[in-house]
Amino acid sequence: MTSLDHLLLVSALTLALMLLFGRTRIAGRLAVALYGVQFLLLMQTGALLGEPVASSLTVSVLDLPMHWRYDALSWFFAMITIGAGFFCAWYAAGVWQERYREQGHSPRLFHVALAANVLTMLILLGSGDLLSLFIGWELVSWASFLLMAVGGGPAGRAALRYLVYAFSGGMAILAGLMLIYTQTGSLEYTRVLTLFGELSDARVWTLLLLIGGGFAVKMGLLPFHLWQAAAYAETPGPGSSFLGAISARMGLYALILLLVAMVGIGRLTAMEVPFTFLSARDLIAWIAALTVIIPTYIALQQHDARYLLAWHGIGQGGYMLLGLMVGNAVGSAGGLFHVFTYGITQAALLMAVFAVVYRTGTADLNKLGGLVARMPLTFLVLLFGIISLAGLPPMAGFVSKWMVYRSLVAEGMPLLFVAAVVGTLGTILSVYKLIHNIFLGQLRIEHEQVREAPLSMLLPMLGLSTLIFLVGLMPGPALSWVAAVQTSLGLPPVPYTLGGIEDPRGGLDMLWLVGILMAGFGVGALIFFGLGGKSKRVHQLDNYAGGHFLTADVRYQYSDNFYAGLMHLIGPWYRGAFLWLEKALTATVAFISAVTNGLYRYAQPALFVLATAVALLALTTA
Amino acid sequence: MIELILMPLAAFVIGLAMVLMMRRIGARLQRRVGPPLLQPLWDIIKLHGKETQTSHGLIHEFGIVMAIGGFVAAVTLMPLPGMNGLAEQGGLIALVYMMMIPSLGLALGVGQCANPNGSIGISRALTAMLAYDIPMVIVIFGVAFFYGSTSLVQIIDAQQAGGFATWGIAEMPLLALAGLFAMQAMLGKQPFEIYVAPAEIATGPMVEMGGKFLGGLFIMQCFQLYAAGALYTLLFLGGGENWLTFLIKVFAVVAIPMSIAFLFPRYRTEDVVRLVWKWPAMIGLLGIAFLMY
Repeated sequence: MTSLDHLLLVSALTLALMLLFGRTRIAGRLAVALYGVQFLLLMQTGALLGEPVASSLTVSVLDLPMHWRYDALSWFFAMITIGAGFFCAWYAAGVWQERYREQGHSPRLFHVALAANVLTMLILLGSGDLLSLFIGWELVSWASFLLMAVGGGPAGRAALRYLVYAFSGGMAILAGLMLIYTQTGSLEYTRVLTLFGELSDARVWTLLLLIGGGFAVKMGLLPFHLWQAAAYAETPGPGSSFLGAISARMGLYALILLLVAMVGIGRLTAMEVPFTFLSARDLIAWIAALTVIIPTYIALQQHDARYLLAWHGIGQGGYMLLGLMVGNAVGSAGGLFHVFTYGITQAALLMAVFAVVYRTGTADLNKLGGLVARMPLTFLVLLFGIISLAGLPPMAGFVSKWMVYRSLVAEGMPLLFVAAVVGTLGTILSVYKLIHNIFLGQLRIEHEQVREAPLSMLLPMLGLSTLIFLVGLMPGPALSWVAAVQTSLGLPPVPYTLGGIEDPRGGLDMLWLVGILMAGFGVGALIFFGLGGKSKRVHQLDNYAGGHFLTADVRYQYSDNFYAGLMHLIGPWYRGAFLWLEKALTATVAFISAVTNGLYRYAQPALFVLATAVALLALTTA
Repeated sequence: MIELILMPLAAFVIGLAMVLMMRRIGARLQRRVGPPLLQPLWDIIKLHGKETQTSHGLIHEFGIVMAIGGFVAAVTLMPLPGMNGLAEQGGLIALVYMMMIPSLGLALGVGQCANPNGSIGISRALTAMLAYDIPMVIVIFGVAFFYGSTSLVQIIDAQQAGGFATWGIAEMPLLALAGLFAMQAMLGKQPFEIYVAPAEIATGPMVEMGGKFLGGLFIMQCFQLYAAGALYTLLFLGGGENWLTFLIKVFAVVAIPMSIAFLFPRYRTEDVVRLVWKWPAMIGLLGIAFLMY
């Protein structure tokens, strides 16, 4: 029994215990404790800095051995996975679970789904060859489906849509693996690595499209992003936080294995896209940049807080891949670090939004407002979260995005740099809309009696907010993990310090920056509160209305079509091009299956068999 | 350490003088005399001394604190003659993002005022930010790429090495032009002041600001004028060899948008975006193309 075995066993035990005791009141707290144990066990594996840790379990299928091991990359993603599971189970453990039960749902199903997600992700992250990777991949797909579907109704429909995407992606990956297997007769990483060195560019392109395309589905990379927002947003509260924080990153993990570990950034740079002046690396970087921009501006249009954040989740994934594709020490570290900073940020943001839903019953941005007076701590959590999501100092998200920008400047990629900043500006606009429409402006009459979120939900939220601030203040410890991951991937490690990045041509020291910002706030407070007369609080309706009288029964809250001027200009640019693509694909598949069906069933069975036989012969002889 | 106190102080005093200059230029163009030397300072003192100070809640107050505090922090990242402050700890990119903190603070403060006009103003101001920041970051990228560094100290050293011929404006005239254009929008001066629009949304973000709240915004404006002038000077005019040349440069830089401003009416929000995304952004990209090829 190795330390990895212990971890996987406890994770499986968590799933079993949730199946047995998920109905009871202590289930939530039990789950929190078990995720805590898993976290400690992960810390004990030493996979981050030492040698990779293997599991003693090996299975052979058709003479293909499957094994599992943890290296620094697995450790890094597993740490975020278990951490997300821990905080989300904590959020669910108290009154949320009771309310969920009262609404007629099954907390047991929820806890089981969460535990199954964590377990399958840990299995996927430990994969030691392409076969175990594929099996882990399918397990994760089914576990995510379970968690997405527990809500029923619109959640069920979104989950089914996800399933179609996941299936297609899985089949593409399987086809790619079959191609590899016919070439090498093995799916071991070492053999695959040498194979990629020998293959011609055309074959690498084929494999990239098949396997990379399949992995990109889970990550929500353009143009496979349409399923994600609804599937994540409709999942019940803590489940949505968990999915938002880490689930899509499994796609990134697999893409890192494929693009960085197997093919290599150097090879990608050398491969030309036919008939263009782009290399494969440029192409992927541009896909990543478009994944930043397009979903971010779709988020700007959302009226539902959950959907707004879920769309941002797709967009932020683009930054991670963009940083990795830049490929230098700072850029790839920025991409990896963003997985962590974004994970804690998104979990906190979704928890805050679901706390509002818990108290008010709605996430509709046009039906909220002024809640800061009723839920100040939730406001604080959301404020920390949006500053981090928008990538402004002093929060964690700033550091990782700064690293991506810095690497784009250093490598001389102006258009990608502008694209990254355009994404950030869109994020600032839409997160301000989020916080304004929920917490600022006028409080609605029906929300006069709303209270602060319950303590059992507030504590994990505040814990995550503290983490967001501390990682922003001292990114050093977290960057040391990133540096270890880079070393294990064969990338140059980032030159980090406790406060940030060391670079003779312009570095970053967050200790000083946060310090001066706090000092600046101190000076501002001194000027504002120290000088001048005492201010008097007035009722929210006691304000200047240009000659109108504002009465208590009519409230004015500017929230619908918040960026009217901007939408007047860019509104027509929002076209359902991707929806059109999806519909076209669906129609094509439906058409082909109808034709096949007709041939097979009614028209000419003999002809069909003949055609199939000819096609098979042609394939095998070619 | 003493630099960190002196730099914001210098920024504030220069900013006060810039407000005075702005009013004097406006007065001259309209054939008036204009206010006396200490008028901006008296205005701030008067606003803080008002008896009626209407607050709409803690975030309303904290927004003002954040607006001033963000600029106090940001100006320490901009090297002055003989003072580097924190320029070594956070370069150009950190500075640009630090300068967004005051806007966010103001936006939060206005949001809590619960006045629809204020919210409309903020939505327009953020849209304007989206507009002018795109040419701004194109310019920032060009300068950082040309000097191979995001450290402002190194950028200034490289510019001062060979006199006027190595200044940013001589090396990258197209980027300098785009930067000037973007700065006009960044300062929210005509024709880009749709978000304050006194006649239709009762001066937008300022609608609920009175007394020391308005006083705080006045202080913020001083810092904002200084920050814009100093940033342009550092990027394109070789920074300051000494205090005299530095002051001449920053005042000259700020005088240009002021003089243009009073000649224009204002554009609508979408026209601001269209204009700024078209001209300065294109000029900036062209400038970068010249640098790279």
